[in-house]
Amino acid sequence: MSALIEAADLHFAYPQRPPVLAGASLSLSPGERLAITGPNGAGKSTLLQILVGLLRPQAGQVRAFGAERCEEADFHEVRRRVGLVFQDPDDQLFCPTVAEDVAFGPLNLGQSRTDALAMVDQVLSQLDLTSLRDRVTHKLSGGEKRLVSLAGVLAMAPDVLLLDEPTNALDEETTARLIEILLELPQAMLIVSHDPHFRRRVVTRTLRLRNGVLAPPEPACVPI
Amino acid sequence: MGHVLDATATPTPPDAMGAGPGPVRALDPRTRILAAGAFALVTVAIDSLLVLLIPLAMAGVALLAARLPMRQTLKRMVAVDGFILFLVVLLPFSVPGEAAFYLFGWPASWAGIAQAGAIALKANAIVLMLLALVGSMEPTALGHALVRLRVPALLVHLLLFTVRYIAVVDGEYHRQRRAMTMRAFRPGTNWHSLRSLGYLIGMLLVRALERSERILQAMKCRGFTGRLPLLSDMRFRRRDALFAALLLAMLTGLLALDRLHVGAH
Amino acid sequence: MHIVDGALSTPVLIGGGIAAVGGLALGLRALSLEKIPAAGVLSATFFVAALIHVPIGPSSVHLIMNGLAGLVLGWAAFPALFVGLLLQAVFFGFGGITVLGVNTVNIALPAVLVGLLLRRGARGADRRVAALSGLLAGALAILLTALMVALVLWLSGNEFIPAAKLVVLAHLPVAVIEGLICAAAVILINRVKPELFSALVPPAPQVALR
Repeated sequence: MSALIEAADLHFAYPQRPPVLAGASLSLSPGERLAITGPNGAGKSTLLQILVGLLRPQAGQVRAFGAERCEEADFHEVRRRVGLVFQDPDDQLFCPTVAEDVAFGPLNLGQSRTDALAMVDQVLSQLDLTSLRDRVTHKLSGGEKRLVSLAGVLAMAPDVLLLDEPTNALDEETTARLIEILLELPQAMLIVSHDPHFRRRVVTRTLRLRNGVLAPPEPACVPI
Repeated sequence: MGHVLDATATPTPPDAMGAGPGPVRALDPRTRILAAGAFALVTVAIDSLLVLLIPLAMAGVALLAARLPMRQTLKRMVAVDGFILFLVVLLPFSVPGEAAFYLFGWPASWAGIAQAGAIALKANAIVLMLLALVGSMEPTALGHALVRLRVPALLVHLLLFTVRYIAVVDGEYHRQRRAMTMRAFRPGTNWHSLRSLGYLIGMLLVRALERSERILQAMKCRGFTGRLPLLSDMRFRRRDALFAALLLAMLTGLLALDRLHVGAH
Repeated sequence: MHIVDGALSTPVLIGGGIAAVGGLALGLRALSLEKIPAAGVLSATFFVAALIHVPIGPSSVHLIMNGLAGLVLGWAAFPALFVGLLLQAVFFGFGGITVLGVNTVNIALPAVLVGLLLRRGARGADRRVAALSGLLAGALAILLTALMVALVLWLSGNEFIPAAKLVVLAHLPVAVIEGLICAAAVILINRVKPELFSALVPPAPQVALR
């Protein structure tokens, strides 16, 4: 199976700070749900941003959907097909109403207003969020915002999902709902999460980011 | 916390387009905005104190029709009355005319009292009507209505963005204040207090900028190409036409009454 | 300093309205859709800041922080402060609607002026100059606003002269308070993220391109 997304030997440092990525590599295949774990500040969010071209690595390659991606223009297709769900839903949910926000992606992809709104209804019903359709975004609860931000990304029918700490600040009920939703989605996923219970339910493979490099984690218990 | 802007909202909040319980909320938001504007323009044009009681009464009726919580809304009147009090106290002493009474030898004229009274009535009537007609809708409905009324889209987007993030920033502010209070901060008129508040505001601004950078990134991730959607479903109905006709009649009547009244004196 | 409906004369209201429309046009020219997120979240922050009250002796006063807004937003302060005033009028009953134009000009014009004069110092490398710029920006903006309020009152009729004088006098201590708070804010921003002053106001080019 050819990989959907590949990162080879990425090096990245923020200006005047020690390097965050020092030769990180990964490969995401269709149907996989790959978790990235690691201590705070290890560079997990940075890695996600590099994969969609919001940041450029100082060295290393990003390949997505069979082509190498270097320039801003290369990433336009990537962003159409890779949905990044940000860590803080308030950063993502900016339109006045839920319907408008979920429609934002489809409209940007060139869909007509009617098609976009049809997509909105479809995605909202898929996630069982139809009751939120006309609600005002800044009044939603944290859990509702998280689910709606996911809907906004799914409305673009991406092939891959990147999720940055999706269960952050979610209550148990919403976490359970999110898990159910993710298990039913066909997309390949890259999930940054430090929640072991969540990972255990959802994830198929794990990589740990440590000292700028990605590697399969050491098992917690070593047989004597 | 999303409620910084709508302490006047009812327990059953209006939906995003402003519809909700009561006859006022059944009207199109554009109608409400235009009505409030027309009302304000006519009210400031009226000269007679007696006639001014009518707009005040109209505003009171509108307030009831809007199903706004009375006490909270009337508390908002105090904000208006702060400045009014200021003018009310000073005007009688600076407007020339027959004296009504004397204070420490300074004459307070009837004309001045009348002018101050007129200002008080006008300001309060307009504020009440504004709260009843426009303050009773969701801020997002206000934005959508304004763009349909030909206000430049860029300005409306600024309005909607501001509204969207007031609750978020307010939350950050309150968390910071609580943290400061827990470390025994008590605001006073001293440099330490002022510096702390200044640092707080500065930090809020820094975080605001950083958040806005992330928002723009999130928009680009969803293919932002330089256009923002404004989807709204507003349609003028028969009740809007009826309301407009009624209001127009009343406002014309008010102006006529005022001319007659003033003419008679 | 929010003037209410019904006080000012019609010519003043019309003049204020026209000036406000002009200021808004200039302010919107300085913005683009890409800058709206920054302008919007910053505007929301100033709105929240205006809800803070500072004790001043026995009573307290609400902040305006238009000096700081001018430093950070430049001409965009016009639409940003207009939005704030509109929201305050419509949802809080604070201020008025026929006087919205006048109120906007009274608060936003000093902001823009103060920003033009003092931004360089605020974002510069010299910490003391930055602090001083902040102090001046905060205080001067309040004083100019008070003077403009006095002006529009006076233009509306001689009977408002005592009120006009009182407005200016009453705002002298407020100017000091806002100056000090603005100084502290500028000190922090200068230390933590001086680029904030250039976010919506690009620094003047150093070299002319041919």
